[in-house]
Order: sequence, then structure tokens, then C-alpha cells
Amino acid sequence: MDWTIWVEWLIKSLFVVFALLTGFAYLTLYERRALAKIQVRIGPNRAGWQGLLQPVADAVKLIFKEELTPAKADKLVFFWAPIITMVPSIVIAAVIPFGPTTTLFGRTIVFSVANINVGVLFLMAVASIAVYGIVLAGWSSNNKYAMLGGLRSSAQMISYELSLGLGFVTAILLGNSMNLHDIVDAQRNVWFAVVQPVGALIFMIVTLAEVNRAPFDMPEAEQELTAGYHSEYSGMKFALFFMAEYQKMIAISMIAATLFFGGYREFWFLKDTFLSVDAIWNIGPWQFQAWFLGPIYMLLKVVVLLFFMIWIRATWPRIRYDRLMSFGWKVLLPLSLAVVFISAVGVLVAQQFDNNWYLAIIPIFSSVAGLVAVGFVDQALRRKSYASH
Amino acid sequence: MTTAQIIFLVVAAVTLVSAFMVVTTRNLIHAALWLVATLFGVAVTYALLNANFLAVVQVVVYIGAIAILFIFAVMLTRKEMRDQGPQLNSAWWISALLAVLTFGGLVGMLWGWKGMDTLASEMPVGFDSVSALGDALISPNAFVLPFEVASVLLLAALVGAVYVAFNPRSGDSRK
Amino acid sequence: MATPTTTATLDLAARFPGAVSADARPGYKGWIVEKDKLIEVATAIRDEFGYDHLTAVTGVDYLPEGKMEVVYHAFKTTGGPVLTFKVQVPRVDPVEVPSVTSIWPGAEFQEREAWDLLGVKFTNHPDLRRILLWEGFEGHPLRKDWKEAFYEEDAKPFKSRWPEGKHVMAEEKNPFKDNINFPKDFDPEQWVPEGEAALYGALARYQVQEGSLKTDHIVINMGPQHPSTHGVFRAAVTVDGETVVSLKPVMGYLHRNHDKIGERNTFLQNMPFTDRLDYFNSMSNNFGYAVAVEKLMNIQVAERAEYIRVIMAELSRIQNHLVFIGMLGNDLGMMYTPALYAFEERELILDIFEAVSGSRMMCNYYRFGGVVRDLPEGVLEKIKGLVFERLPVKADELDRMLTENEVFVARMKGVKVIDAENAIRYSITGPVLRAAGVPYDIRRADPYSIYDRFDFDIPTRPNGDLMDNYLLRLDEIRQSLRILQQAVKQIPEGPVMTGKPQYQVRVPAGESYGRVESPKGELAFYVVSNGKPNPFRYHVRPPSFVNITALEKMCVGTKIADFIAILGVIDIVLGELDR
Repeated sequence: MDWTIWVEWLIKSLFVVFALLTGFAYLTLYERRALAKIQVRIGPNRAGWQGLLQPVADAVKLIFKEELTPAKADKLVFFWAPIITMVPSIVIAAVIPFGPTTTLFGRTIVFSVANINVGVLFLMAVASIAVYGIVLAGWSSNNKYAMLGGLRSSAQMISYELSLGLGFVTAILLGNSMNLHDIVDAQRNVWFAVVQPVGALIFMIVTLAEVNRAPFDMPEAEQELTAGYHSEYSGMKFALFFMAEYQKMIAISMIAATLFFGGYREFWFLKDTFLSVDAIWNIGPWQFQAWFLGPIYMLLKVVVLLFFMIWIRATWPRIRYDRLMSFGWKVLLPLSLAVVFISAVGVLVAQQFDNNWYLAIIPIFSSVAGLVAVGFVDQALRRKSYASH
Repeated sequence: MTTAQIIFLVVAAVTLVSAFMVVTTRNLIHAALWLVATLFGVAVTYALLNANFLAVVQVVVYIGAIAILFIFAVMLTRKEMRDQGPQLNSAWWISALLAVLTFGGLVGMLWGWKGMDTLASEMPVGFDSVSALGDALISPNAFVLPFEVASVLLLAALVGAVYVAFNPRSGDSRK
Repeated sequence: MATPTTTATLDLAARFPGAVSADARPGYKGWIVEKDKLIEVATAIRDEFGYDHLTAVTGVDYLPEGKMEVVYHAFKTTGGPVLTFKVQVPRVDPVEVPSVTSIWPGAEFQEREAWDLLGVKFTNHPDLRRILLWEGFEGHPLRKDWKEAFYEEDAKPFKSRWPEGKHVMAEEKNPFKDNINFPKDFDPEQWVPEGEAALYGALARYQVQEGSLKTDHIVINMGPQHPSTHGVFRAAVTVDGETVVSLKPVMGYLHRNHDKIGERNTFLQNMPFTDRLDYFNSMSNNFGYAVAVEKLMNIQVAERAEYIRVIMAELSRIQNHLVFIGMLGNDLGMMYTPALYAFEERELILDIFEAVSGSRMMCNYYRFGGVVRDLPEGVLEKIKGLVFERLPVKADELDRMLTENEVFVARMKGVKVIDAENAIRYSITGPVLRAAGVPYDIRRADPYSIYDRFDFDIPTRPNGDLMDNYLLRLDEIRQSLRILQQAVKQIPEGPVMTGKPQYQVRVPAGESYGRVESPKGELAFYVVSNGKPNPFRYHVRPPSFVNITALEKMCVGTKIADFIAILGVIDIVLGELDR
């Protein structure tokens, strides 16, 4: 191992951490402005041009706020909980590829901090750690609201992790690899969201639950639990929870983009044009691959996916907790099992006959399965209404 | 000493210390957290052995699922988080003896194993341990039978848990 | 319930000779019931005469006569005038009156209030604790011989606080040298509220159902500082997981003894004071108080003023329901979007209030015999633009946005609030009662002002679930628009006040019970005058306070999230709940 590899790692890590931290700051502004637009308001536009300095002002405020620790809290756990929440939200981005493998300065550069062959499982592992911060924060605060929030979130996240894992499995099956670079490359011709639309949809729903966003924001349901697990947190400790939530949103959007929307690859209509990430640009004497388009495409996809999250938050009420659990266990889990099964069969048939057109059975059958599930939900809701408690 | 050795020694020390803390600390939640640290140390050890898949699975299964259920159960069932009773019972010396014997047996076994002082061969470039593992688990020539038996066992446990929690009178225990 | 015999001339005295006598005092109506026969007479009133809705229970302290009187106002949900009956007891502690909660459970909180403020002990009451004041409070403040810490004089206007130009500090006149009067041997630092123990005792205790998993219950105090209790309302809730096992509302954090201050004020000074009751609907509050006092004064309201009153009251109803729908979305976790859409329209209505009265929320617009000033130029056109063009469209827009939102409907449908029978038993009025399917609206049942001239329907909904409560509000907005459309067309020219405006009105001795259909339910004022410039007794019957009586009944067995939504659809305002 020569020293250059350390430099390479350092630069890539700095890039990822920087992207997540500034991304978090501006995501808050983006969310507030987008919400304001939806709600016929203006939103923060005073600090700097179009409110661009608002995140800075917020950060300064949060740093100088007093941090309170409840008298009967478990001090050690109370201190560590925000950190335990924060770290996975950054670490999870380590395996996400930002661009195609390319050659720079005579070195082969892989655009992800860690290119490991079990990348998808790594995502799964880190996602499963993320629940600790919330549970411990809820427990250590010695507050009933926080405790309820912590319990709700652990039950919710564990339940939805199953469907999340099956969503990963779908992508692994279609991409025939656990390496995220390979999965992205497999979407060169067609996105997995097209091959497996139902799987992509389930994945998007489940990610909302995993990052505790509306309409699944049970753990911090303001109207019921005041602020849930972070009721007792203030100042910078609260800011860490806040950061973790938004970084998780970014990270999970990146993962969704990577697994189902072609990752850093160009949009389908730009394939084989000079805007493709594989294109070789000849400018004067220089000849180079257009690898830098990768992060740009990634950013575009993430921004669009984030907008959906914000849009949902602005328009939907919170789902009731018992319904949330039944939805996770009774609808999403069987449906994702069906989706995995259908995907596996489709891939097998296509391999057997060596014709990729056979993959078309995947979207057809999984759409049918999805419609059946929607029918069941509709029927159950109809039955529930007007049956008094 | 190579970097890997230093990392191994540190990780092993942390693992052992946390394992010791699990059984000595009196606060149940703290004990569960020390258990998480122990399991994490084991995961790092797997990673040092180039067993990426096992390392990640260790985190997913043991830390992400089992330990969190411990914490969940402790939080749900106990108001008093501190265990007040004595930490040793009258049979402590039997367990200590058993532990020493097991440890001695393992050491004795490994002493005679010739793999102890030969270097492991480098893995071939591009060797995919994941597919090798997958093949081993579902190939009829390898471990498909124990794998399936284990899954049946888990299913039986699941059904048993449902039966224990099921309230036959109300039919549906949660409305 | 027996079939009600509708007798045109109800003669309780003939039905119960010796137990009931007519109230013969000048200016008084109704019947005086012997204390020992109260339960018997009340049962007959409910079952034989069909007065199924006991609307108001309060008391009056007749110190000069040495009597304590408890006044009951009962109505039929099929419509018709009031039946007032009273119980008089000697003013010697303990003042004991049998509780009527076994006949009308809705009397529970009002009896607790009468115990709290007047010291009337209701025997056989299930849970007779103080309700608005804190446990450990000394005395019963609505008694005429009770004096507050900063007592100055019995009635306003007070004498000059600067006699001969010299300022007198209020503290110097205060006999207790502090603004709280503690009992003897009372140390606030060491005091543990006994009421808390009683409150938690009132919650159901830990129970284990046999055969099921053993689960522990926890007690959560929702409020007084909580984002969705609509103010400083508090509910002590026992939950089993997510399910509400028992619940007790706790209130009084915003209590200021509105009634006592009202007795110190002159009649006119109470008009702006009613603004602060339900601060979303100061117009309706003014309306109710004006109706009550005008009944006592026996004066006619100027024709144009009647129309202006109706227009303002209905606009107030629309903006209240808009806020209701918006904030209901918020209670369900909709992140302010419907609330902000609704507030946009509400601002336009508040603009009109500001134009006519000078204030957007504390309007103080009605006067005895009319309103304070005529509509300024251009306001009628503005109102026409709103009620003919803008608001109908916006109501439909809000309807589409929420009624077609799947998740919203999934949260709302099938979550029962209360059924018709219980709603009547618990004295519930207003939209919650109508959403349970009872077409009871005072504008039709017991018309006041000029509501009998307009063509409108009383919307009802059959199921009484959250969804019906929400849809009913939309229906009411549309009906109010119908009334407004007729009113702005028919409004005549003319004076807006009978007689000259005056600071001191002459109110003959007597009692009156004036009630209006405020957006939240029946808002009633019980005013007793003894011919002096100040009311002898001034009692408010706020809809929020009485509707909340059934909260426990509604919420037990639902999920925590549904409890928030149910509290939301009852539409409480702490200004009138705690008053």
C-alpha cells in the first residue's frame, strides 16, 4: 500500500462528508422553501440572497443555545445517543458510487469511498444500526413521551427493515451482484425502476419509514408525543438529531437512485450521446472521459427524490400507528416477498432462454401483485369504516 | 508487527473487555450496550479475516436485530433498570471450572494444529467469497440439509411465539 | 326513554303538588323544586315531559335572602322553549343538593363548577373535585361574601384610584399583602397537590386481563404544555401501548373567574369582556350576551342591526369552521398545509371585522338594541364578493383537497366520536351533536334574532365519526353562505340602534337566559339583575366546557392519535373552557 491510496481515500471521504454536511444544510432550506411554495407562503428569504445564508444563521443559533440534561437522565447514554444517530447517517454513504470507474493521473479511480463486494449488505447493516440512536435517546431522557417515541421507532424500523432488505434483494437479483458499481452498470440500458416498478415503489415507501419521514414520522409525532425521542434535547445535541435525519434523507435518496434509478448513469435518452458518463470528450489536445457528469446526474436524481419526500410531508397526514404496523407486516412484507419471487423467476427465465425480453414478465406480474395488494388494502379500509370501536 | 496485527490486538482487547463488562455491569441497558460492543468487535475480527460477508451479516443479524430486541425487551419489561441482587450464586465455581476447562481444551487443540504456524494462502484476485458461500449453502453436495433444517427450526420457533402470544378468547389480540 | 308527552302548557306544580311551586318573583320564570324531590321531579321532566337535554346548571348566591339557588335549564332536542327549574337551599354550609348526573350525565362538569365556584355540594356526584381552581384554594369565589386579594369595591365604576391626585398602590389596599390568599398553616413550598392523587386515583388502575399477555399501563400527562391540546388544556391519560384505557381532563390553567369579574362590571363593560371567551368568535359571543340582556331589558333591536348581526355571526361561523378544518389537518400531522389554505380565507373575513369594528379578533361590536356603528362604505360590496364568489369556490376547493385525500380519509372514517343517544345524554351541542345525527340547532329549534326569516337547512350526518364531524363543518359553511347570500340581499336601510347609545343601561330586575348557536355549540348567558347598574349574577355557559364532559366516554378504547383527533373535532377554545 503506497501513500497515494491514503490520499485518494482522504479526498473521497472529504468529498462525501462535505457533500452530506452542506447537503444537509441546504436541504433544510430547500425543504422550507418548497413547503412554503406548496403552502402559499414565501419561506425564509431574508438571510442572504434568496435565504441562502439561512442555514448558517440556524447553525449559529443552535450552537449558542443552552444544552439541558434532565436531572434523572442516564447522562452517558444521553450524551452518546445523538452521536450514535449521527455516525451511521454519514457512514452509510461510503459505498455509494458517484461516478464511473475511470483513469486519472495514471491511476484507476473508483468513485466510492469503499468499493466492497458486499456493498448492498453494508447499507443494510448500517441502516440497522441507525435505530440505536433513537432508542437510546428515548430511553435515556427519562421522559414518557421520549420513551414512547423510542419504542415506536424501534418497532417501526425493525418491521420495515424486512421489506427494505427484500427491496435490496430485488436489486441484487436484477443486477446479479452485491457490488453497487455492478448494479449501476447493469442499469446501463434500462433502469430497474422500469423492470421492477412495484419493487421500486415499495422501496420508496419503506425508505420513508426508515428515515421516519411523514407520513411515517411516528417517533417524533408532534401532535401526539410533542417531539418523541428528542423531546429533552436542545442546542447542538438536538442539532445532531436534526442533521442525522436530513443526512439520512439524502443518503437514502442516493441509495434509491443507485438501486433503481440508474445511479450516476445518464438518463436513458442521453445514452450514447456526448452527455453519457462513458463518452470521451476531445477538447483541444486533451482527451478524457466525461466522468464528472456522474455526480451531476446523481445530484439531479437525489434532488427530485427529495422533492417527493417534501411533497408527501406537505400533503399527507400521519398514518395511525397500529395501521402503520399492519401495513408493514400484512401488506408490504408479503408484497415484497412476491416481488422478489417474481423477479427471481423472471431473471431465471431470461437466462434460460437467453433473451432479455423475457424480463418483461417481471413488471407485468409484479404490477398485478401490486394491484391485488391495493385491492386488499382498500377492502380492509372499507370494512373498518363504520364498524364502531 | 504489521498494521493488521496491531488492529487485531486492539480489537481483541476491546472485545474481551466489553464481554467482561456485559456480565459485571449492574445496569441492564448498559449491559446490552456492552454486548453490542462485543458483537461489533467480533464483526471487525471477521473483516480482518477477509470474511466481508460474515462481518456484515454479523452486524445485520446480531447488532441490528438481536441486540436491539434485547434492549427493546429490557425497556418494555423493567421499570427498575438496576439489578440489585448478588451477581454470583453458589455454583459459581462450577462454571468457572467449566470455562477454564473449555479454554484449556481449545488451546490444547489449536496447539497441535499445524495451521497455527503456516501462513494462510493469499486469495486469488477476483475470488468471490459470497458466491462460494451461497453455493455451499444451497448445493445438494454441501450444506443444504442443515440449512433447510435450521430454517424449519426457526419457523417452528416463530409459530410457537405466535401461539404463546395469541389470545384464544378474543380471537384477535389487537383490535 | 318514554315517549315525550308534549303538553302545550306545562304545569309542574299540578303534576307535583307540594313539591314544585311556580317562581313568583317579578322578572323570574320557571319552577322551584323542593330539594328532596329533585331527583323524582327531574326524572319526570326528562321522561314524561321530554326535556332530554339538560343544557345548563349553575347557581346563584342570594346573600340578602340567605339562600343558595341552583338553576337548571332543560330543553327538548325536538325544539321549543326553555324549562327552568330551581332548587333553593339555606345558605348554611354544607350547602347540599342532590346531583342530577344520574339523569343527565352531561351535568357532571357543570356541577363540579358550581361546587368549585359556589360551594354547592352535590350529593351522589361521581367525582366531585374542584375543576377550574386549584386544589387547596380557599373558599368559593362566586359567593357574594368572598373577596379577592386585590379587592377594591363591589361594583364598577370604581372610585378614583388617584384621590386628590395621589396614587394609591393596589398592594397597600390588599388585606393579604400578596395576591394569593393562602389558608392558615399553608406552605406553598411544601405543598403536594392532593388533587393529583385524586386525579390519578380516578384513572382506572392497573388491570390484567386473564388469559392475555400481562401488559403494564403508563400514565401520560398530555398538556398543559402540549402542541395539540389547543392551549393549556391537560388530559391525564392511561395508555396500554397505544390504546387509551382511561382519561381525565384537567382544566383551569387559564381561569380568571370571568363570572366574578362580570359581576363587578357594568352591563355594558361586559360586552368587550365577552370577546375574550371564545377569541375566534367574538361576534358570536357579543351576540349571545346582547340577546340575554335585551330579553331582560325587553327592547326591540333595530331592523338593519338585526341583519348586520346575522351577517357578522355567520361570517364568524365560517371563519371558525375554516380554522377548525385547517387545524384538524394539523392535528392529524398534515404539516400546516390545509391550515394555511384556510387561514388565507379567514384573513379576508377578519378584514371585514376590522373594517366594521376596528379590531380583527376582539370586535366588541354589538350593543343592547343594535350594533355600535353602521357598516362603512364599501364593506357590503366586499361581503357580497366574498359570499357570492370567493368563499363557495374556496369551500369546494378545501373539500376536494381533503375529502379526496386517501390517507386523511383512512384516518377519519370509522373512528367513532359519539352516537346520538349519548350525545344528548351528555348535553353536547353544536356540530358534534349534529354530526351524530341529531338535527338540533338553536337557530331553528328556538329561533332568536331574525333567523326565522331565512331559508337554510340544518345539516346532519348519520355516523358521528371523525369524518362526519369534518364533513358537517363543510356543510355548515355552505349553509352559512346561504344565509349570508339572503341577508346581504335583504338588508334594509335605517338606524342601527334603537334609542340613544348610552354608557349606563337601565336593566329591570329579573333573570334571563339568552342563548345563541355559536360555531362551537350552544353559547348561553344567564344574567340576573336586581335593578342596579351591575348584573347580580352573570354566568356563561360555554359550549367547549360542556362538550368536553363526554371526552372520557369518547376516547376510552381509541388510540392515542385518535384521542388527539377527537379533541380536535370537539373544537375547544381554552378562553371559554377555562374562562
